[in-house]
Amino acid sequence: MFRIILTKIAAGLLTTLGVSIVIFLGTNALPGDAAQIRLGQAATEDSLRALREELGLNLPLYQQYFRWLFNFLQGEFGTSLASGNVTIAQLISDRYENTLIVSTLTAMIGVPISVGLGIMAAMFPGTIYDRFLTLGSVTLVAAPEFFTATLMVLFVVFFLGIGNAVVVGSIEDKNLAELITHFILPIATLCLVIAAQLIRMTRAAVLNVMNSPYIEMAILKGIPRRRVVMRHALLNAIGPIVNVIAINLAYVVTGVIVIEVYFGYAGLATLIVQGVQTRDYILIQTLGMIFCATYVILMMIADLASILSNPRLRHPK
Amino acid sequence: MSLRKKGPKIMGDFEFSDLKLHQQQEIVNAVRKGATRRDIMTWMMAAGATATTGGAIFGSASQVWASTPKRGGRLVCAGDQHGPADTLDPILCTASVDYWRGRMFYGNLVRLKADLSWEPELAEEVLVNSDATKWTFKLRKGVEFHNGKTMNADDVVYTLSRHMGEDTKSIGKSQFDMVTSVKKVNEYEVECNLETPNADLVNSLGTFHFRVVQDGVEDFSTAIGTGPYRCKEFKPGVRTVGTPFENCWHGPGYLDEMEHFGIGDPVARLNAFMAGDVDMMVNLPGKAVKEVEAAAGKEVWSVESGRYTSIVCHQGVSPSNNRDLIRAMQMCMDRTRVVKGELKGLGSVGNDQPINKAYFDYSPDIPQRELDLDKAKFHFEKSGVGSTTIPIIAAEVSQAATFQCLALQREAKKIGMNIDVQKVTTDGYWGAVWMQGSPFNVTTWNMRPTANIMMTLAYKSDSNWNETFWKSEKFDKTLVQVRGVTDAAERKQMYHDLQMDIHENGGSITPAHLNYTDACASYVKGRTMVPLNNWGGAEAPPYIYRDDV
Repeated sequence: MFRIILTKIAAGLLTTLGVSIVIFLGTNALPGDAAQIRLGQAATEDSLRALREELGLNLPLYQQYFRWLFNFLQGEFGTSLASGNVTIAQLISDRYENTLIVSTLTAMIGVPISVGLGIMAAMFPGTIYDRFLTLGSVTLVAAPEFFTATLMVLFVVFFLGIGNAVVVGSIEDKNLAELITHFILPIATLCLVIAAQLIRMTRAAVLNVMNSPYIEMAILKGIPRRRVVMRHALLNAIGPIVNVIAINLAYVVTGVIVIEVYFGYAGLATLIVQGVQTRDYILIQTLGMIFCATYVILMMIADLASILSNPRLRHPK
Repeated sequence: MSLRKKGPKIMGDFEFSDLKLHQQQEIVNAVRKGATRRDIMTWMMAAGATATTGGAIFGSASQVWASTPKRGGRLVCAGDQHGPADTLDPILCTASVDYWRGRMFYGNLVRLKADLSWEPELAEEVLVNSDATKWTFKLRKGVEFHNGKTMNADDVVYTLSRHMGEDTKSIGKSQFDMVTSVKKVNEYEVECNLETPNADLVNSLGTFHFRVVQDGVEDFSTAIGTGPYRCKEFKPGVRTVGTPFENCWHGPGYLDEMEHFGIGDPVARLNAFMAGDVDMMVNLPGKAVKEVEAAAGKEVWSVESGRYTSIVCHQGVSPSNNRDLIRAMQMCMDRTRVVKGELKGLGSVGNDQPINKAYFDYSPDIPQRELDLDKAKFHFEKSGVGSTTIPIIAAEVSQAATFQCLALQREAKKIGMNIDVQKVTTDGYWGAVWMQGSPFNVTTWNMRPTANIMMTLAYKSDSNWNETFWKSEKFDKTLVQVRGVTDAAERKQMYHDLQMDIHENGGSITPAHLNYTDACASYVKGRTMVPLNNWGGAEAPPYIYRDDV
């Protein structure tokens, strides 16, 4: 067991390192560098040269990479190239709270509800309830986020006249209920987005297990359907469900650029896009590492969960 | 010439108070709705008053209108793109979010007014020698910085020297590079010596990059200026909060708190504004103008400006240096369509040169170039280009930037001109496409404080931003000469010649000038109308207040 975890951690670290190289090369393949983007239309050769020297962009690529890696490993995130005097740590600390709060609340609210609905659908396949849920989730899967978000704003803010169209104000000194109200629209939209996938995957995973012979045996023994699903089927379906949850949560942390832009609050996903726009490779690298680590950790938890829930994996031959 | 200005003064053969009450009211209302000094002067002169009176009336009307500001309240301002590149360092400001913040926290030596004339601010008096090669600034005494230090010549010398030298990072460098030395004369007097005459230097000093900072400051994580608000919070790409600075020399800002942040997405910004989450927003989309006008308690804040979008024809390469081809393309440009269709009327028709009537030195005598397919066909046939594809690289660097190419393409097709519009992303455009040798590409320019600065930046042979690579000795010579000319008629003629030269021989297809169209709630008062940027040239922070507190 311990060995499995160690192997996974080692693999995770290697993946992260590989990703950092890929991101670095990718950033450098983009036209223009941080100095050029910062000066924009106002760039001259003199000012470009001065700025490049100041930012260390005149060094060869491998030196830039290793300089970053060396500093990063020592916990020195460095200074943003786009602004020149704001540290990466400050940029991230201004935003990670928003991202953390939104993703945690989405997970707390969205995951239990969706999994519950998915299991219910699996319990009564083919009923009106199941069909309604399937239709709803397929529609939601197909609708892009900005569309869902627009409908939310249109209905909640302009039609019902409650709440704010964008997230305004600060999150300081707010308790849980106030935080939920503060981020209500982004959280609601994200819950709908992840619910769609979670409901469908939970239903499919449980139904898949329901088709196996041992379930048939259980049904033949006369065990009530609810008990069959909850005791016999669900435990075996946990592996795939947890994996889907992990992927969705990682997405909520890293990929919610549309939601952040639409509701106008500053989060990490927007930050990395801004990093790319300004060719701020130090910022991109650091965020890339954070995102990569999020994925690796969440996937590791998912793997462990499926191992723990499955005796065959828990005791490999 | 001895140019001397001492505070705003009202003069004339009769004064504002001589007008009948309803006339006063009318003018105040017109000013409130955005009439400029020039508008008022035109009306007054039509009614028989002299030019000075017209100007003075405008001054009084603006004062009456702005004379009853209320204190208190909180104002939430939504700019557009913001991010990690946000800065409080004046010399690095590049975006309208930076300009607005700059005005909250800092002051300038002079400040620009709606008609782009200037009045003293941190400099109490500005003196210039007869050939505009030596400027002297007598500083206001008793001006306090946010940290309690009194402003003196050292601060101004430090501020200005940051724009000088080989390795300066200043965005405003080109407006200041004729200055060879900045000297402290005494505690409250600073002197600038120029290599070549520049009568426009003082106007430049009223712009965004020349905000006065404290001597020796290098850390711009917060702003220590002389402005009406203190920097309470500055998080790049998140938000900025200002609170009134009690000891500001012209009085603290009127609001208890001013919050400013960017909402990059235009739809989200509009939603936030319409829902009342923010009190004002920049860059109202053309489609939403009617909606805002119809909404109760919301107003459009539009300023006619000289900024423009245009198609650049590289004069150093073929086929874009073919005069007949350029003329044919200029005559195929459907300007009305660009202004009415794409800008929804919030702009004005361009005339293939950078100066429009928002500038003081605009020449109204240049014939307007219109859509004329017959003449275009004549020139096109003469050019001998035939069916060869003409590539234009387009990115949406400003409103209508791509649309102008499509409008041109549509008409050009009718005379057999084969234009290929190659759309690229705006991301990295200025480094990867602009001035990189392509024959045709789009560009956009913000308005500059004077026609001379604008033409010097974009059309002088040796300018770093001579985007059309146009080289004309005659043009350069006149452009430099006119800076020292004090005779009004001669100056007017010279500016006319310069504009005519670009109109006739330059490499620009300029279909439209774009207004700055923003929006704010009706209770937001103290709006400025300086045409250099959003929200009235970002000049409003010292004046803006809430009328509903």
